[in-house]
Formats: sequence, structure tokens, C-alpha cells
Amino acid sequence: MNLSFFDQFTSPCLLGIPLILLSMLFPALLLPTPDNRWITNRFATLQLWFSHLITKQLMTPLNKAGHKWALILTSLMMFLLLINLLGLLPYTFTPTTQLSMNMALAFPLWLATLLTGLRNQPSASLGHLLPEGTPTPLIPALIMIETTSLLIRPLALGVRLTANLTAGHLLIQLISTATTALLPLIPAVSLLTASILLLLTLLEVAVAMIQAYVFVLLLSLYLQENI
Amino acid sequence: MQAGALGGMFHSGPDASSTSSPAGGGGGCSGGGSSMAAAAAGAGPAAPPRAPAPRAPPPLARAGGRGAGRALSRELARRHLGAEAAGGHRDEGGRLAVCPVPPAMLSRLLLRAAPAALRSLPPPGAVGVLHATRPLHTTQQSLAPLPPLPEKGGEVRHGLIPEEFFQFLYPKTGVTGPYMLGTGLLLYFLSKEIYVINHETVAAACILSVIIYGVKRFGSDVAAFADKLNEEKVAKALAVKNEAIKDLETAIELEKKEQWRVEGRSYLFDAKRNNIAMLLETNYRERLLMVYNEVKKRLDYQVAMQNLKRQKEQDHMIQWVEKNVIQSITPQQQKESIAKCILDLKALSKSAQAAV
Repeated sequence: MNLSFFDQFTSPCLLGIPLILLSMLFPALLLPTPDNRWITNRFATLQLWFSHLITKQLMTPLNKAGHKWALILTSLMMFLLLINLLGLLPYTFTPTTQLSMNMALAFPLWLATLLTGLRNQPSASLGHLLPEGTPTPLIPALIMIETTSLLIRPLALGVRLTANLTAGHLLIQLISTATTALLPLIPAVSLLTASILLLLTLLEVAVAMIQAYVFVLLLSLYLQENI
Repeated sequence: MQAGALGGMFHSGPDASSTSSPAGGGGGCSGGGSSMAAAAAGAGPAAPPRAPAPRAPPPLARAGGRGAGRALSRELARRHLGAEAAGGHRDEGGRLAVCPVPPAMLSRLLLRAAPAALRSLPPPGAVGVLHATRPLHTTQQSLAPLPPLPEKGGEVRHGLIPEEFFQFLYPKTGVTGPYMLGTGLLLYFLSKEIYVINHETVAAACILSVIIYGVKRFGSDVAAFADKLNEEKVAKALAVKNEAIKDLETAIELEKKEQWRVEGRSYLFDAKRNNIAMLLETNYRERLLMVYNEVKKRLDYQVAMQNLKRQKEQDHMIQWVEKNVIQSITPQQQKESIAKCILDLKALSKSAQAAV
């Protein structure tokens, strides 16, 4: 089929049935079902080790009340990681390139942290709006700035993920188009672009993992401030 | 014991006599004695022909009419729960009066007796009523122990295609068959543009090369790491077990040492006993000496008293005698004795002068 550059970013649809939910379920294919065993096979052992690693990493700075968020943060991390990595395969659709999905993840979670903070410790969470040690004349301006930065957090979270992944995929597509187009014309330059593409692919693998981690890390940081 | 009692009651001949005697004893209760004895007697003679013949349907279900069933249940109640529980109460005469078993208790007793009866029953082919519960006792628990995991996964060629596919095609197309099939398919898709070469092909080539490189380079390390994780898990549990074994062995040795110490205890006690005996002896001797001294003191006192008394008597006697003698010397005698003394002195002086 002839692909345009938009095809990777359109929400998949088959005979009018949106398939985005199905594509969001694909990461579950990569996760082995936990067996009723003590010593599992290698795959399940590695998965268990990895999820322990993530959970420990995220939960260490949090207090006991924050540990209630362990399940959602760990599962969010695994979800985003696998969706991003699966999106690097050819002819796949990456749900996290859709701003709607990322905002749907970021906004409610951020709002939950904010409301938790405002409900349980209102003065402490409002106190975060003013960093310590600011000189007195700067206080009004700084409060405005901090409030703005607080309110822009969900937007930042969502757009960061979307933009990184979309940009990466787009770059891959463009450079691979260049490679394909140059291959019959100037193979040497095509080889150069192919090497660039290889490096870019490595970068994209890294970005996929890092962006998932950053999303969840920032959410845990917001939680730390507020819980 | 339950099964044995019921089995003895319903199936085996030699036990019928033992069951019939308590039944006979229970037959002294009012209101059902005759039917119970009849049931027991019926079970007795009926048991020998029943034992060699193919087993009949459950006697509990086929206990006959309601009267016999009630008698049976009363017998069961009396056997298992005691005479009181069978609805009996003591009247003034002290004898046990049996009331009919309430229906609630009847079902409970039957349920209690049912598994034991069922276990001694024939296979399910011939029977009907109570065997709804039978599969619960005979199904296998499929959860534990789990079958062990296979050592290696399925054989795969080129990382993707299972070996069975090659084996499947081998009889008809030989060794190169699958490869020819693959090449043909690929060329078909390419030439007919079912698969179109576009930019995604190049991107696919890149990402696949990255993945294959990663798997080849890090695959064995990751597998070793996963194996190490499992090994550590098992080693931790084994360490606990070995620790426990070691502790128990140390405890055994300590215990043995204590036992050895106990053997030497008799010497210790002998020495202590000797010590104590010596102490007692010493104490006894001391007290003996004390007694002796005390007695001697008292006796010396008595002796001294006697001596003193005699002395005093003597002195007194001498004094008295002297006093009397002096008193008895009359002045006449005194003069005479003085004159005699003077004459003696004169004589003596004369003799002395003469001697000189």
C-alpha cells in the first residue's frame, strides 16, 4: 500500500470500527501470564524482576500513603514502555502518538495528585508555590510563575510524550523515505542516510524507554509533593 | 471406627453378634425396642448371604419404610452420640426413656454416617440415590504438585520458524523445501506488489537489525541473569533449610553432651554425699564433746562440793575439839601444867648447862 506520512498517526479504523482500544491491548501480549509456580520460566522471572525494580525505584521516595499509588504507577510504566517499544516495529500504530490518549493519562493523574494535596495538607501543598529563600520583592511575581508552572504540568506531561514519540516516528519515516528514494539514484548517499537511520533507530529505542520513565517519574514527583 | 461399626452392622457376619448385643441392650428402651431388635436380627442373618453376593444398594437409602428408617437412625444416634442424644431422658426411675428422634437430628445423623457408608460401598454402577456426593471424593486435585517446566523451549530455526514446520515438509520436499517455499512466497508478494516496498521497509530493516543484534549479543547474558535470579531464590530457601538442619544438629550434640554430663552426675553426688557425711560426723563429734564437757563440769562441781563440805566439816570438827579442849582446861590444871613446864625447863637448862 502506498503510505503517506499521515498514516502512522491516524487512529486505526477498520470498516468504521475504531481499533485504538485493540492496539492499546497489544502490550499485554508481551507480558507472560503469571503461573502458579514459585520458580517460573526465564521470561516470567525477568518480568517479575523488572516490575520489582520499577516499583522499588518509584516507591522509595514516597511515604506510606504514597504506596497506595504503586499499582497504578507501575502498571502505567509497563504500559507506556511496551506501547512505545512496540511502536518502533514497522507498520504499527503507536497510541501514545495521539495527544488525546496522553492527555487522558496525564490530566486525571495530575489532578488526582493536586486534589490529594489540597485536601489532606492544603497549606503545605500551597506552600510549594513559593520556593524557599526567595527575596521578598520577588514573591508576588514568583507565586504567579509557580502557579502557572503548576497548572501547565498536565499539558507538559501529555505534550512531552506525544511530541517526543511523534517527532521520532516522523523522523524515522522521513529518513527512511530519503533512503528509499536515493537508493536507485545515489546508493552511497543512501547508505549514509541508512546509517543515520540506524543511529536514529537506536535513539528512538532509548527515547521510547526514557519517555515512559519520565512520564511516570514526574507523576511520582508530583505525588511526593502532595501526599 | 465409624465405618467399622456401620460395616459391622451391615456387611460382615461375625460382627453381627457384637452389634446385636448393644442393640439388644438398647431394645430395653420403650417405643422401638421390638423394631430395633427386629432390624438387628434382620441384619444378622441377612449379613452372611449378603457378604459373598454382589453388594446391594446403600442400606441407608433402602432401609425400608419410615419405621425401619427411624429405628435405624435411632440405633445410629445411640451408637454415635450416646443414649442421651438419641432423644432419651432420665425419668424418676433412673431408666433411660427414649423419645422418637426429631427429623432435624435424623438428617444430621444420616449425613454423619453417609461418608463412612459410602466409602464402604460398591462402585457406582449399580446404585442410585446417595451417589451425588461420590465424585467429590474421587476427583483428583489438579493444582498441586505442578508438573515441572521443560528444560528447553521448542526448537526454532532462524529464531522464528518452529522446527516442526521443516519436519512437516521434509518428507515431500526434502531439506530445501521450506526455503524454496519462503523464497517463492516472498518473490510472489514482491512482484505482485502485494507487499509494496516503501519507506517502512527500510525502517523495518533497521529496527529488525537492531533487535537481532541485541538478541544475539545480550541473549545469553540475559538468560544467565534470569537463571541466576531463580538460583538465588532457590538458594535462599535451601539456606533456610540447611540453617535449620545445622541448628538441629547442634542441638543434638548439645543434648548428647548434656546426657554425658548426666552420667558423671553420680560421682558428683557421691562426693557431695561424702562431704555431707563428714560434716555430719564432725558435728556429731563436736556435740558429743560438748556433752561430755558439760557432764564433766557438773560432776566436777558435785565432787568439789563434796570436798568442800568434808573440808568444812573437818575444820569445824577440829575447831570444836580445840575449843572444847581449851575450855576443858581448868585453871588448876593450867597452874599445874605451867609449874611442870617450869620444872622441866629447869631440868633442861640444867642438862644443857651440863652438856655445855
